[in-house]
Amino acid sequence: MTLIAHELRLLLRSRMAALALLLVALLSCAAVVAGMAEIDRQRDVIARIQPKQAQDIASIAQWVDKEKDAGSAAYYSFHATWDTPAPLAFAALGLRDVAPYILRVRALGLEAQLYDGEAFNPELALPGRFDFAFVLVYLTPLFVIALFHDLVSGEREAARLRMLDALAGSGRHLWARRVGLRGGLLFLALALPLSIGAILSHVPVGQLLAVLGLVALYLAFWIGVTLLIGRMRWSSVANAATLAGLWLVLTLVLPTIAHVAINRVIPVGQGVEISLAQREAVNRAWDIPREDTMRAFYANHPEWKDSPPLTAAFHYKWYLAFHQVGDESVAKKVADYRNAIESRDAAAHAIGWLLPSVGVQSLLTRLADTDMQAQLAYQDRIRAFHKRLRNFYYGYLFTDKPFGKADFDKAPKFEG
Amino acid sequence: MSAVSLIARDELRLMRRNRVAVIAFALLVLLTLAAALISWSHQRSIAETRARFQAQASEAFEAQPDRHPHRMVHYGNFIFRPLGPLAAFDPGVDAFTGNSMFLEGHRQNSANFGDVRQSSLLVRFGQLTPAFVLQVIAPLLLIFLGYGAVARERERGTLRQMLAQGVSARALILGKLLALALVAALVGQPAMIAFLLIAGQPGALAGPMLVIALGYAAYLALWAIITILVSALVRRGRDALLALLALWAVLVILVPRVAPDVASQAHALPTRLETDIAIAHDLHKLGDSHNPNDPFFTAFKERTLRQYGVTRIEDLPVNYKGLLAVEGEKLTSRLFDDYANRSFAVQRAQSGLNDGFGVVSPAIALRRLSMAAAGTDLEGHRRFLTQAEAYRYDMVQRLNRLQADAVSYANDTASDAGADQRKRISAGHWHEIPPFRFKSADAADLVKASVPGLGLLLGWLILAGLALLPVARHLQKARS
Repeated sequence: MTLIAHELRLLLRSRMAALALLLVALLSCAAVVAGMAEIDRQRDVIARIQPKQAQDIASIAQWVDKEKDAGSAAYYSFHATWDTPAPLAFAALGLRDVAPYILRVRALGLEAQLYDGEAFNPELALPGRFDFAFVLVYLTPLFVIALFHDLVSGEREAARLRMLDALAGSGRHLWARRVGLRGGLLFLALALPLSIGAILSHVPVGQLLAVLGLVALYLAFWIGVTLLIGRMRWSSVANAATLAGLWLVLTLVLPTIAHVAINRVIPVGQGVEISLAQREAVNRAWDIPREDTMRAFYANHPEWKDSPPLTAAFHYKWYLAFHQVGDESVAKKVADYRNAIESRDAAAHAIGWLLPSVGVQSLLTRLADTDMQAQLAYQDRIRAFHKRLRNFYYGYLFTDKPFGKADFDKAPKFEG
Repeated sequence: MSAVSLIARDELRLMRRNRVAVIAFALLVLLTLAAALISWSHQRSIAETRARFQAQASEAFEAQPDRHPHRMVHYGNFIFRPLGPLAAFDPGVDAFTGNSMFLEGHRQNSANFGDVRQSSLLVRFGQLTPAFVLQVIAPLLLIFLGYGAVARERERGTLRQMLAQGVSARALILGKLLALALVAALVGQPAMIAFLLIAGQPGALAGPMLVIALGYAAYLALWAIITILVSALVRRGRDALLALLALWAVLVILVPRVAPDVASQAHALPTRLETDIAIAHDLHKLGDSHNPNDPFFTAFKERTLRQYGVTRIEDLPVNYKGLLAVEGEKLTSRLFDDYANRSFAVQRAQSGLNDGFGVVSPAIALRRLSMAAAGTDLEGHRRFLTQAEAYRYDMVQRLNRLQADAVSYANDTASDAGADQRKRISAGHWHEIPPFRFKSADAADLVKASVPGLGLLLGWLILAGLALLPVARHLQKARS
């Protein structure tokens, strides 16, 4: 114990080591605070829209109530959906700054609504956000390099190495103690702010432990690399330069090359093709016999096929039917598009096994539920909600049931 | 002066002998060339795809059958943001913004299908472009090659010897700087080859290209000076390397990430949902088209009737429903413009605050200059959005006027079995609506937009250059 205390005193007497540890702790704190502020803001926005949304529906209810036409209610009512951030989201903001976490949909064709974006400043999204994942993935290795590159070579250059090696019984224990101490302090500097943030955000203990394990592993990787380079018996300067070069290649150069490669190998048939095809299908309905549309609709929705036939007058059930038929006509394209995005995502995860920087980032965003999978899951929830919405309005339209003020409250509610 | 060139020549010879330095330099050159080629072919394929989609969408629009004009208002049109040639050098925010937009009546849709939402998480690690290589990686190479330039002489004691032999510290620093600046110029060369590729394309503008070349030259020169400065100030080579690496990590990696967070917390942007609700609310306040007794629409009706000297809507020589559509679109569009301007004012404030960090980080200043000159910044995207809205408005109003002039009010309000056919007008009308043509910014605008970034960079350069003087004086004292 006294030996450790002694080593600690030695370590902290080096101005650079103390400064580096302090900086890591500060950066980690700042990243946790910034991440939590951003997630708080997103939660606030989600809370803020609820009364506005209710007000919007109330004003529509007021005039729809006069004619009690379920079609007008379906056409004019937009329903809010939102993607509540997971407790751990503050640690890795992932895609939450560029993909919408709030989307309004109505019972018309979903494929024309699902891909709408949120208003955001792309110049701010371009460099990426400052969150714990960034501090861990990009900055921590640099501090590892700063603290470990001269572990042995520094003693050699100070001409103490032979003496240290000659000390009876110390040998290996000494280096293990030093590595353990530096690594442990670095881990604490990262883990303490994160754990405090996680406890404040009610992150489940298991998840926090998983993240801490990830932090430890990533640290261990970089410490291992640094020690390996240290074994080459080069000078401290050569160690530092080589390690910085390795860091550059592993966190900046190879991921960007992998990105280009993935997007080349797995082409995503442009999403806009879905929009173009769906729009053709929907608008064509005005130029073909309406019975054709209804037949196509009833084929997939037989529960409504006993609805009274259309007359010459406009009826919203036909309108909603052709929107749905339009959506169904592009189902294959939608599935292809999604599969391609998922394969790109899977390829990136696979690369994570080779590139620790990518691996840690992808695992963190997975745990934080802010990655592509989380985005797709949100889209699935929107799809399910849209289905409930449609069925709700169909219940009125296909039975010609009047839709009064009270019926607005019966509409399905999205569960974040 | 010969002392300066002698020292520079000596330094360069030393670098040439350093195998690691030569390999690192060769790798960077290869990386830049690869980035240039990849980026160029990527930009070409994007430009082609978008042009193809644009042609397909325009064709589909013109191929629509006889229809009621209002159906065409809802059929709408798709437009695509073309990608300028300089995007091959610096694609800026292109991957982060949607690049296609659906234009229809009464609604203003978002630009959709940006790359960032259909790529893997790797897109957030940065994109391999010549701009990225020069902004982020090239300074590191200069640091590796230059950190020991002066510190090494000091460590080995050769500094004292040289000073004693009458070489002035100023000549020493200038010589070392000259050598590193030459390397910097060589590092920038491959990117200039990329420029030559781009210059061959139609639409490449000489002015902005010159500004970009100037900006990157200033940026690399700045890093050469910073490297020599630190090398001259710090006692040991290792400390110089660590200090420079720390400086690089803060200026190039950390600050550009922190700045956007500060900007987005300082200026909150309303969500689309809130904007949509606010527009609907404002519209409702202006006039309620669902209410037959609404004062605004009653006044409009009376004004129209008076204008044509009739007493009943049915007697108007034009279709009243078409006029109403024109008026309605006018109201909504005004609100769209109003809210879009507000949103952009917030975004501009955010970007302004973000750019302000260019005082702290030259990388931010360079990025601003680079994107602005390439026309791939927020303003470039806004240019597209503004033209899209103008086109949308023009298209919708042309169709609304067609409804007023070419469809009779009696037919438009009829609901008998044959009414649907009588409401339709000839498909020839769709050809009269001109296709969307994006007007890219002209050279003068791009150059003007890049001036603030260039100014900041030159300020940095001058400041760093001036800092060399006291450092040289300090070094001279090392003699005693």
